[in-house]
Amino acid sequence: MKTKMLICFALLIACGFGLFVFADDHEEEEMNKLVFSKETYKTMKVNNGGKISGVVKFEGEVPEKKKLAINKDPAVCGVVDKFDESLVVGENMALKNTIVYLMDITQGKDFDKDAKVELDQKECRFNPHVQIIPVGTALTVLNNDKATHNVHIFGTKKNGTSINKQQTRNRKRMKLAAAKGAEGPVEVKCDIHGWMKAWVAYVPHPYFAVTNEKGEFTLEDVPPGEYKLGYWHETCGNNNKEPVVVTVAAGGELKQDFTLKIKK
Amino acid sequence: MRTSIFVLSIIIFLLFSVIFISYAQEAPEVSERGKEVYEESCAHCHGVEGRGDGSAAKNLLPQPRDFTGGIYKIRSTASGELPTDKDLFDIISKGMPGSSMPEWESALSADDRWEVVSYIKTFYEGFKENESPPKEISLDGKIPYSEESVEIGKFFYTQFACFECHGNAGRGDGTSAPTLQDEWGFKSWPANLTENWNFRGGSSTEDIYKRFIGGIAGSAMPMFEDASFGLTIEEAQRYGQLENKVEMTDTEDEEFNTLDEKMGNAYDILDMMTEGLANEEQKQKHAEAMKIFQEKSWHITNYVKSLAPEKRPEPAIGKNALRSQYTVDTLPTIDDAAWGTLEASYFPLVGQIIVEPRQFNPTIDSVNVKSFYNDTEVAFLFIWDDRTNNTEEQENEDFGKTYEDAIAIQFPVKIPQDPTAPKPYFLWGGKKAVYLWQWKASAVNSVTELTAKGITNAEVQEVQGDIQAEGKYTDGQYRLWVKRALKTDDKKDLQIEPGVFVPIAFSVWDGANGDIDTKRVISSWYSFVLEPVPSSRRFIYPPIVALLSLGILVGLRGFVYRRNS
Repeated sequence: MKTKMLICFALLIACGFGLFVFADDHEEEEMNKLVFSKETYKTMKVNNGGKISGVVKFEGEVPEKKKLAINKDPAVCGVVDKFDESLVVGENMALKNTIVYLMDITQGKDFDKDAKVELDQKECRFNPHVQIIPVGTALTVLNNDKATHNVHIFGTKKNGTSINKQQTRNRKRMKLAAAKGAEGPVEVKCDIHGWMKAWVAYVPHPYFAVTNEKGEFTLEDVPPGEYKLGYWHETCGNNNKEPVVVTVAAGGELKQDFTLKIKK
Repeated sequence: MRTSIFVLSIIIFLLFSVIFISYAQEAPEVSERGKEVYEESCAHCHGVEGRGDGSAAKNLLPQPRDFTGGIYKIRSTASGELPTDKDLFDIISKGMPGSSMPEWESALSADDRWEVVSYIKTFYEGFKENESPPKEISLDGKIPYSEESVEIGKFFYTQFACFECHGNAGRGDGTSAPTLQDEWGFKSWPANLTENWNFRGGSSTEDIYKRFIGGIAGSAMPMFEDASFGLTIEEAQRYGQLENKVEMTDTEDEEFNTLDEKMGNAYDILDMMTEGLANEEQKQKHAEAMKIFQEKSWHITNYVKSLAPEKRPEPAIGKNALRSQYTVDTLPTIDDAAWGTLEASYFPLVGQIIVEPRQFNPTIDSVNVKSFYNDTEVAFLFIWDDRTNNTEEQENEDFGKTYEDAIAIQFPVKIPQDPTAPKPYFLWGGKKAVYLWQWKASAVNSVTELTAKGITNAEVQEVQGDIQAEGKYTDGQYRLWVKRALKTDDKKDLQIEPGVFVPIAFSVWDGANGDIDTKRVISSWYSFVLEPVPSSRRFIYPPIVALLSLGILVGLRGFVYRRNS
């Protein structure tokens, strides 16, 4: 009898172990990953769509504002003080630069064709710090400095390889096609001026918003239905595992706030 | 009851097994041989799963490649593209100089290396999704090496802003150098272009050209597009001239604006090409401008090629030993043109990995030395490249602690009787003591005499002799001039005589690379000699000997004749 019990045990433990290995391989936590539907996104005309809005706030001790050390080209880069932008907390703990989006939407409106997909380099700072780019769209990078920059868009395991292109002071505007397979948020850096950092997120549909200084976001023209609402922040991580489920009614307005902490 | 639990667990187990097996079968077909070779030869550094996390990885910088990310430094393809199979094969075959990646040409058959190529490609999905092979960088229009091309290349080296990282003299000492990191957050230094034997992807003209056009993925080295696109070489040079003028005349201003507009238009076309929106006429213009860009790039390549010697110099041993040259005059000072008349002797350095703390990732390649002596004194010029001038200990949030740069020149206290006689232990001596000159970047005009009986057992000599020193740092290079009497009264000092080979060795500290105490780069023993003065007696003795011999012969002949007659 005892032997049988032991075998039972052993078999179940083996199963458990298998599950563990399986899970480890597939649900590896990835800070810089967004969730998208596997289906190809279809565009359609959205009439009487709903609206989701809210405020993203930060919880926890707000770190002291970190002034960046400007060790290069001071005449161009050192005119205005620059600060680390990896965690920008405004009044009422409003968290700037958080991406809020619908994870599982498969059809809806088209991208705003007139929206600028521009990354400016001025006084050796990237602006905006976080923005979205429709997959397949080239990023326009501006150089408003009398200095040479290099635009280095990082690669990550799931997001394809990196791309890194020099932009001398002679080149005011440069179109930068994404690297193959680019998807989700990737870091952008100027290596020549090591403090210059930004993020771009390659996204397959337009239901994305980046929070402003007040932590506000708005997603408009959402076709009625049930959706998973996700967020991502470079320092506070994502909610890929616990998305908020929202139900959008035709012409309805829905509020959903988030409170984020620093991801250890 | 218990039986049913038993049955149930067996069922559950079988169910799971089926799931796992079916999952496992989804995995792509792998090259069995490739896997075998990989796991035997590559996995120690690159990890069984190709994540660059093998057991030996933690001490290595550059870190072993993580094959699951699809980021490959050495490619013959554009930025953002995967490498070709041939690229992977070549890296495996030839290794990566200056890193821990050895060549496998001598250890693995070509077939096995190709098998490994197919196997490592299975670690990254992107290789599968690529239906067509990645586009290779065109090597068309290569411009042969010439002084003229080097001169043009030098101009474009500046206009393309290579100096930002690689420095004005190409020693990897640009003002951006101290803050460069790779995409994984590790410190990464720009290449010292004057030591091209350390180039990871090889130092042939084609290798350099490809790195320039395609960049080095994962590192700070970007791909380059023309910094004066649409302008011819002459126009680009003129543009550079005008740009740097403090004040322009009206005609010059107009000329500048015309060139600027021409360039702007060319860039617009380049952007349209990127987005696939260019028409036929624009495509034609783009092709013409690209041709000129290629020319500029080949000129830059030739310039980079010109910065390094044709091959890595031979170490200063045997016939290449450091030979101090005799002069009747006073010895030259640090900036004297006389040093230019001597060839430097080359002393290669390696990381000190015997005693903790160790240096696994050295940044200093070598010390180059020249020397003169006269009847009473000897002068040395020690030259070594260091990308940063660190004169004090500093704490940096992003890059950790940096320390003071330094060098120590080591001699035995007693010169071994003959070349085979045992020398003191090369790491600052042991039972047999060594005599050291230590110089630090914070006190450029002084050398301290030490006596050491081991790397952690050094003492400053109580009586400091009369040694003159002067150190200078320019464009990523230290030059240290030291002068001392050939003979001293101190028994702990080295006494130097012409014609006697003296063992010599070095320790160098690059403070920016965390070098301090035993963490440093070192050499083993090499040798130097005061080249004996060719004696003026050579004009006297040989004729006398010849005459004497002749005399004896004549005498002998006479003697024989007389005896016979």
